[in-house]
Amino acid sequence: MNSIKRCQRIMSLFIVLFIAGMIALVVKIQRESSFYMMNSEKRILGMVYDRSGNVLFDGTLEEGDTSKYGYNYFVDVGNIIGDDKGQMDNTLVAQNLESLNNYSFSDGVVQEGGQAAIYTTLDHKANRAVYDAFAGNDGCAVAYNYKNGEILICTSLPSLDVTNGYEDIDQFRNATLMCKALYGTVPGSTQKVSTVISAMEIMGVDKLYAKSYNCSGQYTNQSGDVIDCHELYGHGTLNIQQAVEKSCNPFFAQLIEDEDLPFNQLKKMYQQLGYTLNGDEKTYIDIDGIRCETASTTIVNPHEFRTQWGCIGQGDTLVSPMQLMMWQSAIANGTGKVTLPHLIDKITNIHGKVTETAHTLHTEQLFSRRTANAVKQILTTNGANNYSYQIYGYELGVKSGTAQVDEGKKENSLLVGFVDDSKFPIAFCVVLEDKDSTYLKPEYITQVMLDSLHADLIG
Amino acid sequence: MDNPISYVFSCLFVLLAHAAMLVNVFINGSYSSFSDALLLAGAVLILDMAYFIAMLFFRQSSHTIDFMLILILNMSVIFQSCFGGVHFAAKHYITAIAALFACRGGYLLCRNHKWIQQQRKYFYIAIAVLILAILTLTGSRSMWIHIGSATIQPSEFIKPLFVLACATTISEQQKKHKVLCFNVVYENTALFGLIMVICLLQWWCRDLGSLPTFVGIYISGFMLRICYPKAKLSKKSFIIAGILLAVTALLAMKFAPDYAKERLHSDIWNDRDGTGYQQSRALIAIADGGWFGKGPGKGGLCNVFAHDNDIVFATICEEWGLLYGLMMICVLLIMIAIPLINPPRSYFHGTMAAGICAAFTVQMALNIFGSCNMIPFTGVTIPFISAGGSSMIVSGFMIGMLCATQSPYFSAPAAGKRNRLPAGRRQKI
Repeated sequence: MNSIKRCQRIMSLFIVLFIAGMIALVVKIQRESSFYMMNSEKRILGMVYDRSGNVLFDGTLEEGDTSKYGYNYFVDVGNIIGDDKGQMDNTLVAQNLESLNNYSFSDGVVQEGGQAAIYTTLDHKANRAVYDAFAGNDGCAVAYNYKNGEILICTSLPSLDVTNGYEDIDQFRNATLMCKALYGTVPGSTQKVSTVISAMEIMGVDKLYAKSYNCSGQYTNQSGDVIDCHELYGHGTLNIQQAVEKSCNPFFAQLIEDEDLPFNQLKKMYQQLGYTLNGDEKTYIDIDGIRCETASTTIVNPHEFRTQWGCIGQGDTLVSPMQLMMWQSAIANGTGKVTLPHLIDKITNIHGKVTETAHTLHTEQLFSRRTANAVKQILTTNGANNYSYQIYGYELGVKSGTAQVDEGKKENSLLVGFVDDSKFPIAFCVVLEDKDSTYLKPEYITQVMLDSLHADLIG
Repeated sequence: MDNPISYVFSCLFVLLAHAAMLVNVFINGSYSSFSDALLLAGAVLILDMAYFIAMLFFRQSSHTIDFMLILILNMSVIFQSCFGGVHFAAKHYITAIAALFACRGGYLLCRNHKWIQQQRKYFYIAIAVLILAILTLTGSRSMWIHIGSATIQPSEFIKPLFVLACATTISEQQKKHKVLCFNVVYENTALFGLIMVICLLQWWCRDLGSLPTFVGIYISGFMLRICYPKAKLSKKSFIIAGILLAVTALLAMKFAPDYAKERLHSDIWNDRDGTGYQQSRALIAIADGGWFGKGPGKGGLCNVFAHDNDIVFATICEEWGLLYGLMMICVLLIMIAIPLINPPRSYFHGTMAAGICAAFTVQMALNIFGSCNMIPFTGVTIPFISAGGSSMIVSGFMIGMLCATQSPYFSAPAAGKRNRLPAGRRQKI
């Protein structure tokens, strides 16, 4: 009888293994069925809304149907919200198709009345105002609440209204289908914020404040290369506060060469801030599935032009406007921790039940509270001294930058900063491309942005 | 018949199950002509009744497996008749009837364990003949023999023969022979040689799909050998066997043909219109069907190649729902698990039941998990469910072997007397 039992045990083993596989299959199908249906031709997508319930994407629209919404109604969010047509991959809709799918395994594809939706944190009205403020110039603007991480503004020009379709795709201007806020751009002097943070962390706040260097209009470094200052006759002797306000290149070149700023520690600090150095593999910041490039630069030798030029924010240094804005949150909060941005506030299923809600997340400590507060002091002083008459009504911490692009043929104008107000905690970054081709200034766009947000959020 | 009430109720259960499916076909089905559905219903119910009557002529200890067999066969006929719109799948119906006959054949052949163990040399010969047929008659490195419009897959017929080879040689475990310094059991060596030949044949024919089924049967036989009474069973034996199996699997993966390696690494969603076409469509179809399906004949997977065999589980789930698909699998599992409830009464029959169980579970796993992208996709069938004459007849034959484990025959009947039932056992249904 024992021998028969052995046979039964062997049979049981095969049957149990098979049943375990079947259970795994049912679980897999339950969990992934929405994904499968997203890859079918039968999908019915839901809606994407802004924070006030305005539509940012309508999955029920027929292709080319422009009658339901006004002309170019979606143009300000076209390349960040995107659509499901496959032309844009790095957009909210493309990366969250499953959440928008009006399908469940129990109910099947819901042809009408499905309530699958994504409620974003964006403010469509303010976003549109910022888009219009660019007056057709290229660039991008991004702003978020540095306390809770809600992205309120994210517009990038040129853009498109996805309801117009892609028939004229050959006529689209360069970078129409990408949200520039997510991709690296030469940061110009806004990079100096990172250099100041790094120097403060390595030297200590007091020691950096005690440092002063002379600017005579240009500086010849130890390798014999010349770093020019935008002030032809120089700024004279400057301390760190003055250097940031004047955005003095020779000051920062001398700071990089300073023996009190060990180069290896500087590299480590840059890496801690999130830079990939010297051609290392690029990494990405995930924002609700959307990939945002992390900063990159080349620093190999403190006495070399390329390194100093990189720390000043030119050359092959690239930082996405989103990341420039994120660093501002660590300064504005006074904690040294970046508040991670998010676009999705909540997601509802086909029955309208909330299935996911956003949570505020922070990075680990990137730099000390003392450094954060000291940099905050420098930036708010800069804001008060140099920008209060251009952007009025707000107590700002600001750093501007001018980035040479296309091998110096064009210059982009950047402005990063934050509002030092606990009731209106906004960090932002504005990039205006080819600044010499327009009368417009990023300060104006920032003013429009803050005014629109203030009207919507505070009233 | 010891228990006619039980028999009648079992008949009613099968009839009701089929009637319920047919009602679903009539109400929810997609058919162009009502007569198509009517023809299907008539064919299914007539086959049920005919089989119930025919069963009365076979005196068995238990008819449970027979009832499960007719239940699953006619379920299969209904499923196959609904793919792409309700019609009567006459070819599948005929192969189902052939499977019922094959089942009887398997039962009659295997119920006398003493007699069949004496015939084991013929199984080796039959396997050798089939291998030769594959090598000579199938054409260029193929598993199929084409006779006119019909095709036969000889490798399918090797499966029950291999189960029988494993089972009929089990009693030889005690006969060890000293060869050099080793104790050798000739039968084990022969069996090992046989599985190696089958592996090489499958590799040569570039059809590795059935290979795991043979390996499954061999593993069940091997495990029962090392657990054989008086065998020196030790953890060491198991560990060595496990290591050998792992090494073999690694070598197999290394030397597998390119197309097989490709399947190990392919991303079906990135190659939806290439190598992942069938699997991605199968998964979409299951998702589209949901729990309760779109309705008989209303599926779209019928336009995909091999919808009625390689990805048949998905086709059924799309039209009938995942719940029905799972119920179908439950019926198959219950059928092969009957020996767990009503144990075989000889080690030969036990070994045979284990081999059949291994063959069926491995084959179902390969088909279902393969089509659902849990394991590499192979072109094997689900016993009784997939279309295919060779598979259907062989599956029927193996179920007949399983029936024999339930109603064994222990002594030769005296002249003029009917077969004796085992002493002390009541008839079970």
